[in-house]
Amino acid sequence: MKDELAKRIVQSLKEAGIDFVTYLPETRLSQIIPLIRDDPGMELIAAASEQEAVTIAAGATLGGKQAAVYMENTGIYVSCYSLLAIGKQLGVPLLLVVGFLGGVPDQRNSFLYATIGKHTIPVLEGLGIEYLVLEDSEKLEIKVQDAVRAMNALRAPFALLFAGEFSI
Amino acid sequence: MIRHECLELLAARMTDQLVVTSQSGQRIEWSHLSKHEGNLLIGMMGCAIGVGMGLALALPHRKVIVLDSDGSVLLSLFNLATLGNLRPKNLVIYVFDNGVYSGSRISYPTATSGNTDLEAMARGAGIKNAHTIRNVEEFKEKGVEALARDELAFFVCKVEESLMHREIPRPSTDLAENKYTFVRYLERTEGKPIRFIGRG
Repeated sequence: MKDELAKRIVQSLKEAGIDFVTYLPETRLSQIIPLIRDDPGMELIAAASEQEAVTIAAGATLGGKQAAVYMENTGIYVSCYSLLAIGKQLGVPLLLVVGFLGGVPDQRNSFLYATIGKHTIPVLEGLGIEYLVLEDSEKLEIKVQDAVRAMNALRAPFALLFAGEFSI
Repeated sequence: MIRHECLELLAARMTDQLVVTSQSGQRIEWSHLSKHEGNLLIGMMGCAIGVGMGLALALPHRKVIVLDSDGSVLLSLFNLATLGNLRPKNLVIYVFDNGVYSGSRISYPTATSGNTDLEAMARGAGIKNAHTIRNVEEFKEKGVEALARDELAFFVCKVEESLMHREIPRPSTDLAENKYTFVRYLERTEGKPIRFIGRG
C-alpha cells in the first residue's frame, strides 16, 4: 500500500471519531500502525490474540471510547467467539479494520491465502456482521464515516475489508 | 475458603468501582450480593479480563475489578501476556480457582487441579503483583487491601467448590439491560455521554 493511502486511512478513522485501536499486526495495512501510535489523539493497544483485541476494544467502547480493531482476516476466525459473545450478544459497536487476504481482489493472493479469503465473507454473514469491501480509495473517508455511523446505530461490530489497491 | 465469603468482603467495599464478572458462579453470586450499577455481568467465559482491561485503559482514574474463574482464564491465557506488558494500575483481578468446571454440573477438573499454576503463569507473563490466596484472612490482608493500591493485581484465590450458585436465584437482568444500566451509570458519574448511545 502506498504511504499516502495509509495516511488517508488513519486520517479517516480519526475524522470518524476513532480514538482507541487494538490490533495484531498483519502485512497489507501495516503502515497504519506507526501513524496511529504517533498520533496523540489515538490510543494504540497491542493484543496477543484477535479474540482479546475484540474484548479490549469492547471494554474501551463501554468506557466511552470509539474503538477499532485492526487485524488480518484470519483474525475474524480467531475472534468469532468474542465477536458473537461481546460484539453481538452484548451489542457493542466496534469498527473492524481488516486486511482482506486471499479474496479475489487481493493483489498478492496465492495458494497461501486463497482458502482464508474464500471463507471470510460467509463467516461474517454467518455472524450477522455488516461489512464493506474496499478495493480502491475512492470515497474512502465517506465509507469509513458510513461504517462508524452504521456500527453505532446497529450497536454491533462492522467490518471494513481492505483489498485491491490497499493490498499492493 | 469459598468464593461467596470473598465476594461478601468485596461487596462491603463497593463505592464507585466498576466490576466485570465472567460466567458462571461469580456472576450469579455477585449479582445476588451487589446491585451496584457499575456491575457488568458478562454472560460468557473467557471475555471478562479483556473487557476489564479495555475499561481500565479507557478510564484510568476509575478502579476496575474483574471477578473471574480458573476455567475462564484458561480459555483466554493470552490475556496474561497482554496484562504483563500493559500493567494497568487501576485493575484488580480475582480468579476464583476451584479446580473444576463447576458450571458443567459434573465438576470435571480443570488444569489447575493438575499441574498448572496460574500465579506462576501470570508472573512468567510479566504480572509482578500476582499472588495465590488460600484462606479468608489472607484474602482480607492482600485481596481486599489491593483495592486501595494503585497497581495491577492478579489474585489466584484457591476456593473449595461451592454449589451455592446453583441454589441462589440467577439474575434475570437481560445482558443489554445490564449494559445500558452500566453505561448510563458511567455517563452520570463521568459527566460525559457514552458516544455510541447517540440521538434517537
